[in-house]
Parts: sequence; structure tokens; C-alpha cells
Amino acid sequence: MVKLTAAQRQDIFAHALEGRPNEVCGLLGGREGRVHKVYRTRNKANSPVRYEIEPQDLIRCHLELEANDMELVGIYHSHVFSEAYPSNTDVRLAYYPDALYLLVSLMDDGNPILRAFRILKAQPTDERGEIAEVPIEVEAAEL
Amino acid sequence: MVKVYIPTVLRKITNGQTRVEAEAADIRSLLDRLEARFPGLKGQLVDSQGNLFRFVNVYVNNREVDELQGLGTPLREEDEVALIPAMAGGAVGGAFSLEQGLRYARHIILPEIGGQGQRKLLRSKVLLIGAGGLGSPAALYLGAAGVGTMGIVDFDTVDLTNLHRQILHGHKNIGRLKVDSARETVNDINPDVQVVPHREALTSANALEIIGQYDLVVNGCDNFATRYLANDACYFLKKPLVDGSIFRFEGQATVFMPGKGCYRCLFPAPPPPGAVPSCAEAGVLGVLPGIIGVIQAIETIKLILGLGEPLVNRLLLFDSLAMEFREVKIRRAPDCPLCGDNPTVTELIDYEAFCGGPMATTGG
Repeated sequence: MVKLTAAQRQDIFAHALEGRPNEVCGLLGGREGRVHKVYRTRNKANSPVRYEIEPQDLIRCHLELEANDMELVGIYHSHVFSEAYPSNTDVRLAYYPDALYLLVSLMDDGNPILRAFRILKAQPTDERGEIAEVPIEVEAAEL
Repeated sequence: MVKVYIPTVLRKITNGQTRVEAEAADIRSLLDRLEARFPGLKGQLVDSQGNLFRFVNVYVNNREVDELQGLGTPLREEDEVALIPAMAGGAVGGAFSLEQGLRYARHIILPEIGGQGQRKLLRSKVLLIGAGGLGSPAALYLGAAGVGTMGIVDFDTVDLTNLHRQILHGHKNIGRLKVDSARETVNDINPDVQVVPHREALTSANALEIIGQYDLVVNGCDNFATRYLANDACYFLKKPLVDGSIFRFEGQATVFMPGKGCYRCLFPAPPPPGAVPSCAEAGVLGVLPGIIGVIQAIETIKLILGLGEPLVNRLLLFDSLAMEFREVKIRRAPDCPLCGDNPTVTELIDYEAFCGGPMATTGG
């Protein structure tokens, strides 16, 4: 279970729509499965079908998470033309076994979809792994 | 001493330590020192050629070493090194290939088209009657736009006198079948398009079978017999017909939606044989079919995507010398022999006899 507010989900959708037709990516910081902050990052790949979080943004977020005693709850990115489900590429490049992978699909333009997954691999560098969906609880307002 | 931040993924190797310290002059020697203490660590970071793996970002004082001197980046006392695996992925293998994503990016970014609309185009099946003056610009733009299946029916071969307007065909294609030349040109622009050549004239015998395979028809024919045939066949099969025609310096275009009027509502009977000269007899401004054919291509895309106001019940007239577009309202005629209240044409007929002229003129 991962918890985020409707406003945070909206922020992720807005980011995905603004970045279209390229994929967008970002990090979710929080504690105990609850998202406290959405960090938008730049997509170094600059592509409609690939993402790589800009390394400079990546370390900035890591440091900020650490400074605020937050965990990396999740990593999100958008799929502009396909389902909100990890692709083979997503699985192959999943090096964060403890983080959730959140995917936004913009396939249905008027109705973006957000889903969360854990990508389980014996070794982080394995090409393949198991994909397990994790429920998302959207809270109406921030407490 | 240099301080090194170890990411979660590598902490198994460092026995759970988040931060370790080491003496080293540069990144390369740092990795060697760490390997000596934590066997297996280096193998996670560099490949057998000694290059950093793409998926690990190495930072010195929060700057990525790619921006510094790579593995040779010098280290000083108190420098902080961080090893952070990349966060990457992407949708390759999704509904579009990487190449398609880029090819159609300017379509997909339009909210009116988007990924969904582009997929509709790729799934669409359009038949072009004629690969001549009107068919050329229509085929080029529809192919570039990613219309997935494009049938072209044309029995004719490329003639030198075609080339001042039929831009699908090049000089080297003179003498070849137009459908073959057209397929090569369209696939040169966009290999996604499956061009289906129908190397024959459209006749009463084959029209229903051919047109039945497609979602809609773009009419670029050059004679009245084929025009009536296409009109009747599209009506019987309930397929939209995107019509266009040209004469000297003038052209017209409209869309016939089955049940909302047809070519026979406008012109119940053909002109007497020989009354309207062909392109070969009367001449035609070479650029003119470019305008009309492109209007037909736009209307085709609008129909496929359900976008905007289709050119239905409107006849668009273009005068290139006055450089003027005009529009006249047209409507279904209750006494139309085809789509009227008491139809007399209930199946395909002998169109050559009806028009008093052959279907197979050249030009277009």
C-alpha cells in the first residue's frame, strides 16, 4: 500500500501531460509508505519512449531526502502511448528493490492512469524479474 | 580520507555500511581500494573493459564524474563520493516503437490527436482511386501521417506527360505501373504504411470487393464512368467518399457520407460524351491537383479521427486564377436515383454505357 493525496497525484498527472510527447520522471519522498513530497526531475533521455533521471537531479533529491529524514518511497515515470505497467526496459533497469515504481499512462488522453508496482529481482542487475502491483490509496486532502 | 556514500543496492557487499572511508588519488584507484575491502563491489560498477556501467552515476562533491574527468577524476582529502544507481526505463515495446514515437511526435503532442488518434490512423484503411494528379499528394501526406493500410487502384503506367503534376512518380519510373511506383515512394517516406496495389481498373465487377476492404475512399479518378461507379459502390457499402476533381485552373472537393447525399444528387446524369474534355485534351495547371488532393487528405484524416467539421453537404470550389475558395451548400436530393426516396439504381450498372465513354482514359 502506498498513500498519496489527490493533489500529489494531480501534480504527477500535470507533469506527465506537460512533458508529452516525451516521458517524464520524478521521485516520491516520504515515510512509511506515505508520500510527503513529489520531486519532479528532468528526463535526460528526452524521449517519448525512454527516461533517465538527470544525474544532477538524482543526487539533489537523494541529499534532500536524507536531510529531511525521508525515504525514497517511489520512482515515477510516464508511458505516453502504452499501459501503466512496467515494460521490459523498466524491469531491466530497475535498480531500486526497495522503492515502488509508479507508472502514469497517457494512452487515454483525457483520463491519465496511475499504478504502482514493486519490481522483484534476485540481483538488481538481473534482466528479468517479477512484477507485483501495490495498491494506491488516494487521500482527499493532506492531513 | 575520502568519504563514499554506498547506495542500498550495494550495501549487501559493504556489510550494510552506508558510508565508508578510503584513501585514493582518483576514482579509479578508489574503486580498487574498495574492491580490496569489499570483494565484488567493483564488478558491480565497471565492466570488464574497466568502463563505468551506464546504470551507476558516480559523483564527486555532488557533481557527476562524466562532467569531470570520468574515472580519472582526482580526489582530495575530505572529498565526498557518492555511488547512485541510475533511475531509468521507458516504454519501448509499448504501442509505438521508438521510431514511431519520434516520427509521429508532432501529431501526438496535439491534444486533438494524441497517442490514441495516432493509433487510429495506423489502424485505418484507406483506398485511393487513382495514383495520378489528386492521388499523388493525397498518398504522400496520408502515408506520411501514418495511415496504416493504403490501397491504390490504378491500371495505368507512368507517362512523361504525367510528371508535371503526379508527384508520386519520378522520371526513372516512366513506363512502370503507377501503383508500383507509388508504393515505393510512399514506403520511402514511411515504411509503416502497408501499400496494397490493385493493378487493375475499378469496374462494376471488382468495385464492391475492392472497396469493401477499406474504411473510406479517396476519389482521384479522371473520368465520369469511374466517378459514378465509385459513388454508387460507396453508397451501397456505406463507405464515406472523399471526392475531388480538377479542370484547367479550377478544382472542387466534397465528402459524400452515405445517406447524406451523393454525386448523383448533384449530377443525376453525366454530361454528353466529349462535352467535358480530359486533362490530356484541355490541359491542367500542374500545381492545382496539389491543392485539391491535399484537401482530400485533410478530410480523410478528419474522418478517421472524428475531428472538426467534415466537408459534408458542402462543395468547396477553388479558383486558382482568382485565388479564391467558395463554398456551396449541397444536400441529399429526394428524387436522387441512388440515395433518394424511390431509388431506381439498386445495384452497380454498366457505367461505360451510362456515360457513353470509356473508363480508361489517361491523365488524371
